[in-house]
Parts: sequence; structure tokens; C-alpha cells
Amino acid sequence: MALILGWLLPLVLGVALIAALPRNERGDTGAGELAWTLGSGWFIGALLLTFWMRVLSAASVQFSALAIGVPLMLAAALLLGLAWRRRRAQWAATLRGAWRAFAGKDLAGWPRAAWLALLAWLALRFALLLAEVVWRPLYPWDAWTQWATKARVWYELKSMVPFVPVAQWLEANGAAYYDAAPHYPGTVPLWQVWSSLLLGQWDDALMNLPWWCTGVALTLAVFGFLRGEGFEPLAALAGTWLVAAMPILDVHVALAGYADLPMAACLTLAALAGYRWIQSRSPSDLVPALLFAATLPLIKNPGRIWLPLLLPGLVVALWPRYGQRIVAGAFAAAAVALLVLAQTNFVLLGYRMHLTLDLPWHGLIDAYFTLANWHLLWYAVVGAAILGRRHLLAPTIAPLTAVVGGGLMFLIFGFAFTNARIWVEDQSTVNRATLHLAPLLFVWVILVFRAWARDTRTAQVPAAPAES
Amino acid sequence: MTRDATTPAASAAGSDEAPAATALSPRNAWRRVALLFIVALAASTLAYLALVVPGAWFPSAAPRTWEAENLALTRGSGILSGGELVVTAPDATGLTLVSVVAKFRSADYPSVAWVAIGIPESADVRVLWSSEYAPQTLRNAPVKIEAGRPLPVVLSANRGWVGNITGLALSIQGPLTQPVRIRGVVAKPMGAVEILGDHAREWLAFESWTGTSINTIAGGADIQDVSLPVLLAGTVALAVAIGYLLRRFVPRWLPLPIAAVLMALFVAATLVLDVRWTWNLVRQVRATGVQYAGKDPRDKHLASDDAPLFAFVDKARKVLPEAPARVFVIADAPYFRDRAAYHLYPHNVYFDPLANSIPLASALRPGDWLVVYQRRGIQYSPAERRLRWDAGQSVAAELKLVDPLGALFQIQ
Repeated sequence: MALILGWLLPLVLGVALIAALPRNERGDTGAGELAWTLGSGWFIGALLLTFWMRVLSAASVQFSALAIGVPLMLAAALLLGLAWRRRRAQWAATLRGAWRAFAGKDLAGWPRAAWLALLAWLALRFALLLAEVVWRPLYPWDAWTQWATKARVWYELKSMVPFVPVAQWLEANGAAYYDAAPHYPGTVPLWQVWSSLLLGQWDDALMNLPWWCTGVALTLAVFGFLRGEGFEPLAALAGTWLVAAMPILDVHVALAGYADLPMAACLTLAALAGYRWIQSRSPSDLVPALLFAATLPLIKNPGRIWLPLLLPGLVVALWPRYGQRIVAGAFAAAAVALLVLAQTNFVLLGYRMHLTLDLPWHGLIDAYFTLANWHLLWYAVVGAAILGRRHLLAPTIAPLTAVVGGGLMFLIFGFAFTNARIWVEDQSTVNRATLHLAPLLFVWVILVFRAWARDTRTAQVPAAPAES
Repeated sequence: MTRDATTPAASAAGSDEAPAATALSPRNAWRRVALLFIVALAASTLAYLALVVPGAWFPSAAPRTWEAENLALTRGSGILSGGELVVTAPDATGLTLVSVVAKFRSADYPSVAWVAIGIPESADVRVLWSSEYAPQTLRNAPVKIEAGRPLPVVLSANRGWVGNITGLALSIQGPLTQPVRIRGVVAKPMGAVEILGDHAREWLAFESWTGTSINTIAGGADIQDVSLPVLLAGTVALAVAIGYLLRRFVPRWLPLPIAAVLMALFVAATLVLDVRWTWNLVRQVRATGVQYAGKDPRDKHLASDDAPLFAFVDKARKVLPEAPARVFVIADAPYFRDRAAYHLYPHNVYFDPLANSIPLASALRPGDWLVVYQRRGIQYSPAERRLRWDAGQSVAAELKLVDPLGALFQIQ
């Protein structure tokens, strides 16, 4: 029970923060708002929790359920009070509307049956995943060589003692710790520390509950986003299911302990919150977007790359007139630089600046198209890029196109020019690296496909209004 | 707008209908989309079968299986264990040869499949056979190895695959990196139903969690002749193509926007994949429950794959001091090194995650601890109270715990 209540606290905190933030009329679309707030709110709360734990550790305050939980509870109460004052008039209507939508009361006939069936299907999936998380002790390799190692030490010592490279460790005479990746950030281990504090013991199955929460939160947020973008309830739920059903995503919930799923959720939510802010210009979208983006490097080291890769989307959105040219120019320059480095062999400051182009096609095709990792995501990506080619740079889609385009270039660069190609050939890391971008990629596919579908409609019915 | 226009496909694709839509109800129109999917799937399947069925589509012969008990290890050494012929080494020339006496008509059985695992991919592997037609001649054909398993060999086009077959054999030329486990050999008629059944079994084979599951999901058996995602994607593409042509030339037949048709087919294909995936998940959860449900954290580890290691570390922890101490962990296998270290935290553990190395003796200080688990090359002299290892390294140490699998020392 303590574990459940303890992980409800970040939910309340995050939801209260979003609800307390001022929003303008454009930022209050109504449809899907509660789902978006719950999903992104849990994740915000879970990140704020780790920020507070870092503060406590820096202030040499020992970790305990009280030291961590009470101040966060007070903060949540304060924010809830502020949110109540700001949005008192809307809460009852929002909850009633959400309940009606959840029960499918706005639908009738087979759409309602499909809605309920899809909800049950999603519920079954998350029930199965929850059983795996609750029963299975920490299983996948890196989880117990480089992530939970830190969690165990920090939980037992009640503080974030440093992890250092081996040379420093040998000199530290016990003052510092060592594991397989001492330079990895602490967000994910801090989640496990919080779970363990709530449990009062080291239980390397139950401590992974936040991975399940991450899966649920991401699912809720995607649904809320799609509803907010004007998708009908059943269409939004179908789109959400497509994202949540990706097998490799489910595996990272079931075999909890890696940072790739939190990374995927954080990147997706950063991009989607940013996208919402572009539309709404509302602080209630801006603050989450900035928070998610700023946290990317604190989840896993590739976050340092994913963070700047959000910038092309921002440039395209903020400067619609020149932004696309700037981003296209930057991408082209990067591509040319890569090609030049691949063809030359010059030395700069003692470093040999040569890149060897060797894209492991076979491994990549197996990972994306042949094996069961992604269901049909990559076929959909190819289909959306071909069918929706005229809409990729439409003002409403171009920012996300810039982000996923940059993300795909980053992945291809890694696979084609670095030793990561080995991880494609042996199928070891290719899917985990891709998972970071995958949920966002599927949302982008759905948006592009809708734009194409609307276009075919206007082509068939000349009198119909053009895409807004 | 009809109510059906609010479906996912229609709402995303627009609610228009083709000019001649009025004659057909939306329900019937969607039924025709389902029919399109079935027709495209049937067409893809028939085209595939036309390419791969080597003989009769509906042969009268049934598959013939010879289990491990029927096999003879003609060259090499091994034992029969648990229904498998476990070959541990080839003969002096590097040859492993397993044979079976058989009698069947080659025309009835175009394919032979050896059921085995652990075969090195670098080895020259062949299937051999003798026949009544040329009893003095031993014919052979190469066998492709994937993930340590031999793939079925289609022999119907081989000129030597004639008459009555009197014997089959599998030859492996080259060193064995691990024991090769052979379960038997199957002569297959390779009819359409058998091929489809084989594929269905591959797709529905239980894929339990392994160390690589976090990286990749095969989608059933490790080796599959046909990928289900590829088949379904092809089916969707074909169905959309047919739908597009129908809308163009017989618009009355399919009065739905092509985008809606595509989305509905895509969702249907994904649903097929997701049902398979969820079914696998159900079976996995059942297995996980049997292994772990109702157990406390300690008992879960004792029920886990690394139970002996955990039990040893558990004993070592009772010898180690309460306060975190510096502990060096060494083991030949990286899994044991890393896993032992994990179980030892919050002691201040050192392990080499990449190489089977031991720190220099000069790095060890009095009061440090050393955990040795299944590590060759470590010698301890109780008389001298001295620990020695590779390259002449040695250090004074006291043996604190010994176990058939490992030992714990304190550096003096």
C-alpha cells in the first residue's frame, strides 16, 4: 500500500503543477485534457521527485520516506490549492466529461463496442505487464550492472554517494563506488530508491513499479494529445493502442530496469508538449515541455543528443517563413560534412577525422521490418513518408517532421558511421536506441496520415473545406 | 454523415463517400474491406505456396520422424541423454557423423529436416543419403546453419534424390565449440498444409524471456522461414492495391475513401500481430507466476536462474562485515562476475565488466575482500596463507569461506 500511495504522490504533484499553471483560451481545448494531464503529470511528478532527492543528497540530508515525501506532499497541496482557485469552475465538468468519454457514452453501436473492446484490450496488456513487474526480480543485464547498482547503494546508505571510474575508485579507499557505467545519470536509480524506501526493504521486483507507471502514463498522454489534436475518441484510442502495442516497448515495461523506456517517454512528452505549446502558447504546455527537455540528459547519456535534436522543431515552429530553410540547410550541411569526412582522411588537432560509411542494411531491415519488435511501425513510417509527402512540411506537421527527421538522421549516423553498427548486426542495441524515438515517430505517422486522408477527401470532394 | 463515419478510419480519413455510395450501407462496405483483406491474404499465401511447394500440394504421405534413440553416432563421441543425442567431440579428423537406417520413397519426401542445436556456423554441414537406385554411392547436399540450428533441406531437385532412400546421415566437418544436441530427423512431404502448419507453429511458438529479449523480439520461433510482419504488410499493400483498382473501375463496389480502407487494413493487420504478441505475453506471465508468485525477495532469487550463485553470495554476506567493505569479485564468466557483484552491493564492489581480469596484487589492501567464483588459475596455500594467480601475482590472504562453487578471502 505504501508503494502505491508513494507513487501516487508524484501523480498528484505533477497534475497539480500542470493544473496550477496559467493557461490561455487556446490552451484549454477540453478534449483529452484530463488524460494528457494525468499522463504527463505523473511523469513530471516523478522527475520532480528525483530533483528533490538530489537536493536532499546535496544538502547531506539522509533519504527517508518522510524527508522526501512530506515536502512533496506540501508542495502538491499548495499547487492543488492554487489550481483549485484557478480552475474551480472547470473541474467538475472536466471530470464528468472524462467519465462519459471513458465509459463510451458519447458513442453508440459498434463504435462504442469497439471503444470498450479496445479499452479492455489495453487493460489486459497492462495487467499482464504489471504481473511481470511485480513478480520478476530484476532481470535484464544492464539493469543490474549499471542502474540498480546505484539504487542499491543509495538506498542502503541513504545518500547519493559518487560512482567513479575504476582508477579513481582504487584511489578512493572506499569513499566512492564503482559499477559497469559509473558515469550514467541517477534519475532512474532514484526511482528505485524511492520505491525501496516506501517498501522498507530492497525488493528488486516491486521497486520497478515506476516502469509500469511510465508505460501507463505515456499511453494516457498520447491519448490526451491525439484527442487534443481533434481526433475522434475511437480514432485517438486506436492511435494510442498502436503506440502502446509495440512489443519492444512492452518488453521494456515487463523487463523493467533499463533507462530506455523513460527516455522514450521523456522525449515523446517533450516533443508533444512543445507541439501543444506551439499551438496554444500557453504556460501550461511550455513549462512541461521545458521540464521534459531539460531532463533528457539526466535520464540517459544519449539525452545530450536528443535535447538539441528538439531545436529544429522549435526553429521551424517559431520562424515559419525561414525556419524550414534554416533547418533544411543545417541538415544538408550535416549530411555534406559526413560525406566529406567519409571520403577524406585529414587530421585535426591530432585526431583522425575520418568516418567509415558502412550501414548494416541487413541487420537494420531485420530489426525494423522482419522481426516482431515494432509490429508495423516502420511500414507505416515508409507509407506516411510516401503518401503524405506533400504534408510533411505543412505548418502544423513540420515541427514534428523536423524532430523525427533529425532523430532518424542521428540513428542512421550512429548505425552507419560508428561502432554502433556492430550492435545492429547482432541485434543488441539497435532496437533500444530506436525505442527512444519510436513513440513520437508513431504519433507523427498518425498526424501525417490524417493530413493525407483529409487531402484525398478534398481532392474527391472539391467543395469541401481545405485542411485548417 | 452517418454514425459509421466516426470510426477511426473514417474520422481520420474524412467522411466522404465515393459518388456511387448510396446503394451500399456502411456496414456492408466495411464487410467488403474485410473481404478484401481475406482475399489479399489468400492470394499472398497461394503465391507463396506456388513458389515453395516442391511437389504435390496435397500429398498422401505423412511426415516420418526418427527420434534420437534411432540415431547412430558413427564418427565422434557423445551420449544419449534426455531424448537427445549429445555429441561432445568429433573424431580425430574433425568429423562428426550421425546416421539412421530408413526406408521411404524419395518422391514422397522432397525435404529432410535435422532437428539439432549447437552446430557451429563455421562448420561444413551436409546431409547424406543412400538409395536403392545407387546403393554404392553416398550422395550429399549442404545444410545451412542459422543460430546453431540446421535449416530443412529441399532435395527434390537433386539428381541423386531418386528411388527408395535407405539411409540418412548428418555430417559436421570441423571443431565443435559446444556440445551439439540432436533430437532426430524428419522426412517431410512438404505439402501445402504441412508448410502452412510449420509456419503457424513457428509464429505461435512460445518465445520466453531470455537475456536478449530486452534487445529484440523474434516473434515466435528463433528461426522462421516467413516473417509474419512481412506477410501482413504485403497483404495490406495488396489489398489496398486491389481496393484502389476497384474504386477506380467499379466504384459502386467499394464506396469508401481509400485512406479509410488503408487505415482499417493497417489496424486489422496490427491486431493480428498484437493478438499473437499478447498470447505470448499471457504464456510468459503464466510461467513467471509459477516461478515467482507468492515468494519474498530472497526466495525469488533462490528460484531464479542464478540460484546457486545467489546462495553462495548469501553465505558470503554473512561472513562479510555489516559495514560496506571493499570487495573484489572475480569469475571466468562475465555473467557470474557481474551478477555476484550485484548481489554483494552495498559493499563497495569491484568487478571487471568487460574482461576476465584480476587486479594487480598491489591494488589490494589489507582488510579488502576477494570473492572467487568459478575462476580457474587461483591457488591458495593454507600453510603459507597466500593467494597466487596469473603472472606470478600473490598476496597474503585468509580463507574465510569455501564452497564447491567459490571462495571468500580476506586480504591480510
